[in-house]
Amino acid sequence: MRLQRTNPGSAVRPIAVLLMFCVFAVAQKPPTVGTPDAGIVGGFEAKVKQYVDFRDRTVGRQQKATDNPGQILSNQREMANKLRVARAGAKQGEIFSPEVTQYFKKQIAASLAGSHGAQIRSSLKHAEPVKMELQVNQGYPASQPLQSTPPTLLLNLPELPDGLEYRLMNRELVLRDTQVNLVVDYVPNALPESMP
Amino acid sequence: MTLFRKNVLSALAYLLTMIAATHGQANRIDVMLPLHQGSVRFAVISDSGTGDKEQYEVAKEMEAYRAAVKYDFVIMLGDNIYGGHGADDFLRKFELPYKSLLDADVKFYASLGNHDDPNIERLYKPFNMNGERYYTFKKGDTQFFALDSNYMDAKQLTWLEQNLRSSNARWKICFFHHPLYNDGKSHGPDLDLRNQLSPLLKSYGVNVVFSGHEHAYERIKPQDGIYYFVQGDSGKLVRHDFHRRDVTETSFDKDRTFLLIEINGDELFYQAVSRSGETVDFGKLTRQ
Repeated sequence: MRLQRTNPGSAVRPIAVLLMFCVFAVAQKPPTVGTPDAGIVGGFEAKVKQYVDFRDRTVGRQQKATDNPGQILSNQREMANKLRVARAGAKQGEIFSPEVTQYFKKQIAASLAGSHGAQIRSSLKHAEPVKMELQVNQGYPASQPLQSTPPTLLLNLPELPDGLEYRLMNRELVLRDTQVNLVVDYVPNALPESMP
Repeated sequence: MTLFRKNVLSALAYLLTMIAATHGQANRIDVMLPLHQGSVRFAVISDSGTGDKEQYEVAKEMEAYRAAVKYDFVIMLGDNIYGGHGADDFLRKFELPYKSLLDADVKFYASLGNHDDPNIERLYKPFNMNGERYYTFKKGDTQFFALDSNYMDAKQLTWLEQNLRSSNARWKICFFHHPLYNDGKSHGPDLDLRNQLSPLLKSYGVNVVFSGHEHAYERIKPQDGIYYFVQGDSGKLVRHDFHRRDVTETSFDKDRTFLLIEINGDELFYQAVSRSGETVDFGKLTRQ
């Protein structure tokens, strides 16, 4: 006898899907247009786009897949060096300006104080500590684990274009260029010292 | 890489393979899978890429079982390459230990762990990630979703939601590094990841989830109709890792393991095998 295909939880599916979208909607709600926060986020996104355009002009787009990991690594290093030279004067705070930093800290604090705060803190506690001194234009050492970034936290931050990501490194929030493995900028003490 | 360095590495790898072979010869192959004609068969490894003797010994056992089970692909649950990510690391921690499997055209499908370098591994052809951090592929009537649990952003969640919704596969299997349920001491479950992923997995009928990260083997009691396996000990191991049994159905933390899976119709058969060839868990699950 052929079993009838069943969908687990089919009776509750519409409700579950609706709830799921509600959660996403709340988490990802962008600042209302015309508010100071919307202006700050808009400014941040413009600076990020500027960086990506500059990066693409300087080192080109993503590499192609290959059987040779040595080739991937050396291409990545070559691109990183080129970009490092081109951005030699880059400093912390160029993208995360004081008002953007304040906005990010506010969003992170709101996430930690929100309904998923306990789970975010639990996820953060499980992360393996990273031992490195942060500097703009610095590479992320391969020997260090990447600290996973709690998804609910990510959903409360402005979305990034491909090739850039947020990474928590201990208490700092780093804007990392994944294509060339460089620290683009960072928010110092983004996580509160004692979490609520 | 200099010729001298390559030769030294090859000699070291040969030595490890020989030790593993000697170790493996004493073991009995004890297949607990029914081996139905036309079934989907694969192996599961995680936290494997140490380059240590133990990884080679597990790999040797995997090869012995491949000859009997004839699985043709392996899913990797992350921490595929620990430490450096140069050519010699890939050689020592992947290409040489699994050489016999690669030579037999066994395909590896990797997902990313916290010790992996996403930008190098996703571009490394033998990991079959096609340049992506997350991707999907189908084998028979089973669809696999390889996720990047290090960075579960809105884009990835949307991608997963769309791909799960459009999938008409009989079995939907997700695999990623950080476990949603786990009774291990060293890491435990990622609760925030669970918050975001569980509603999707439940709503779109995911049947099985494989994760690593915790360096032991654990089969979880079904949660919301989903079967969960934690298999994070194909290279690394934390002994005596389990301190409670809230969600654990069974666990093993005395040696490294790999997992064999066979899917036939509405049934999934599993067999966890230790480095010494001992079957530490096996059974059958029915699609819920």
